[in-house]
Amino acid sequence: MEWEVPRGFIPDMRVPARFFLSDKLSGTLEEGALSQLANITTMPGIVKYALAMPDIHLGYGFPIGGVAAFDRNEGVISPGGVGFDINCGVRLITTPLRESDLSLKKRELIERLFATIPTGVGTHSSLKLSPGDLDEMMVSGASWAVEHGFGMERDLQCCEDHGCMKEASTEHVSQKAKTRGMPQCGTLGSGNHFLEVQVVREITDPEAASAFGVEEGQVCFMIHCGSRGLGHQVCTDHLKVLEKAVKKYNIALPDRQLACAPLTSPEGEAYFSAMAAAANYAWANRQMITHHTREVISSLFGISYDEMPLVYDVTHNVAKFEEHTVDGVRREVCVHRKGATRAFGPGSSCLDSAFASTGQPVIIPGSMGTSSYLLKGTKVAMEKTFGSTCHGAGRVLSRTKAKKMMGGREIQDRLRKQGIIVKATSSAAIAEEAPEAYKPSSEVVRVVHRAGISEEVARLEPLGVIKG
Amino acid sequence: MPFKELEHTADVLMRVWAPTQDGLFSESASALFSVIFCNAEDRGVEIPFSVEADDPDSLLHDFLSELIYFADVEGAAFSHAGVTIHGRSLDAVVHGEPFSQERHAGGTEVKGISYSGMHIIHNDDHFAVDILFDV
Repeated sequence: MEWEVPRGFIPDMRVPARFFLSDKLSGTLEEGALSQLANITTMPGIVKYALAMPDIHLGYGFPIGGVAAFDRNEGVISPGGVGFDINCGVRLITTPLRESDLSLKKRELIERLFATIPTGVGTHSSLKLSPGDLDEMMVSGASWAVEHGFGMERDLQCCEDHGCMKEASTEHVSQKAKTRGMPQCGTLGSGNHFLEVQVVREITDPEAASAFGVEEGQVCFMIHCGSRGLGHQVCTDHLKVLEKAVKKYNIALPDRQLACAPLTSPEGEAYFSAMAAAANYAWANRQMITHHTREVISSLFGISYDEMPLVYDVTHNVAKFEEHTVDGVRREVCVHRKGATRAFGPGSSCLDSAFASTGQPVIIPGSMGTSSYLLKGTKVAMEKTFGSTCHGAGRVLSRTKAKKMMGGREIQDRLRKQGIIVKATSSAAIAEEAPEAYKPSSEVVRVVHRAGISEEVARLEPLGVIKG
Repeated sequence: MPFKELEHTADVLMRVWAPTQDGLFSESASALFSVIFCNAEDRGVEIPFSVEADDPDSLLHDFLSELIYFADVEGAAFSHAGVTIHGRSLDAVVHGEPFSQERHAGGTEVKGISYSGMHIIHNDDHFAVDILFDV
């Protein structure tokens, strides 16, 4: 279940690497992904080990599912450990509806959501932001959206960091990034991003489920998206700067995409503040989509807006300063999570009081047509993984192979027979995201549960999905 | 077609080849647009631009990153780009048409160009490169 890659696997490893994988998933581990995991251990200031979650797969720089902590004073920060889609994340919202309430209106709900939430290439938000608004949004995050009428005050308590990284500054966010961000706030994007209507099918931890406000048979919706073109541009811009910093600070790296700079350097600080601004934009983006979804459900089913509370919002592409106990000593480290989710356990000081005794909610989306899971953070995660767990199912098939295997229409028909309505901008977009292209989410969740780095609370099944 | 999608589990990996370096850059642009836009044609939209970088790999990276930016902000669906390289810089013109949901939707946004594994190689007849698009 828990594997160690010792020093010497590749040259210049400063620490070992560890990953979590079951026998059943062992065939899914790509050699390239393991090398990418080992590459992280060559970076200056890495603490203890580089980690990979069971949804590990080949990325660039870090593998997807990679986690690493760097010392506050000796360590580095790298966009290759965060990804282009800064603060890509997931949130789960409950409703008072039961599955039977949807019955005949399910298709209409999916059509209305697709018509309301801009989805796919070339779509723009209905919100007209001024440059000043955009700057405020990047500084304040989800609270900007709530203050402007796109949510409830309580939503903020149910976001990681209350939906705002306080270190954010727009000083190092380029005009290009702002130009891209202006028309896109409140849009879903494409690829694996989605908005899904789900039903809670099974509760495995009644006490935690009750604390999270989730019960069996309840209809929920899940949103998966990130910081859109603004975040992508921040990554692109700063990669160029950090490429030069690698030479300036004489850092030897096995992969150009791991370009990094000391956390204490001007280049490192500039990237961190811009990344935090993009992360805040992503929280505002998910908050806007939440608002429009609540309005659609409210008008279609006659329920009130405030009957749809946010369970939690997690980010899975970010770098953050956190305090962790390493070999018995409290240390401030910069934890990079790329395709991994924070899973802080009970008693963690930064959690909202509602989650103090349970640990934080952790949301793991399934692939299209398969179960998603609600888990909780654990003390074991605090001890073993810098408070981290998996982020999703993890791909096993390329998009080309997925498209060759089955057509989008065929998948749509098959899912419809299972009671799942899929609405997307093209049938190719559906084919690329076929359920068979992913590891079984149930097995990935089983591994993290058995390893103790997060624990199952509830399982949700899809009823309908919109995607780009 | 002088580009081909290779197997990659997470993202889109393209192998591109052409008889000249200018051609390689131009075909790389076509490979990028084939991911983002459906049915884009050259119907009068033209944007000239220039890029500078320290080495050929970085020049290709920055050129493609610039195209991703245009794809996001210009309200156009692009089909191809003409490129002339002068040492460490290039002049390019990207061609396309106004974006329409009916004609061009259904592609996949490209979030960025990865430096991982991107090295331009050549023999006497051809230039080639593998490019990883993060989608």
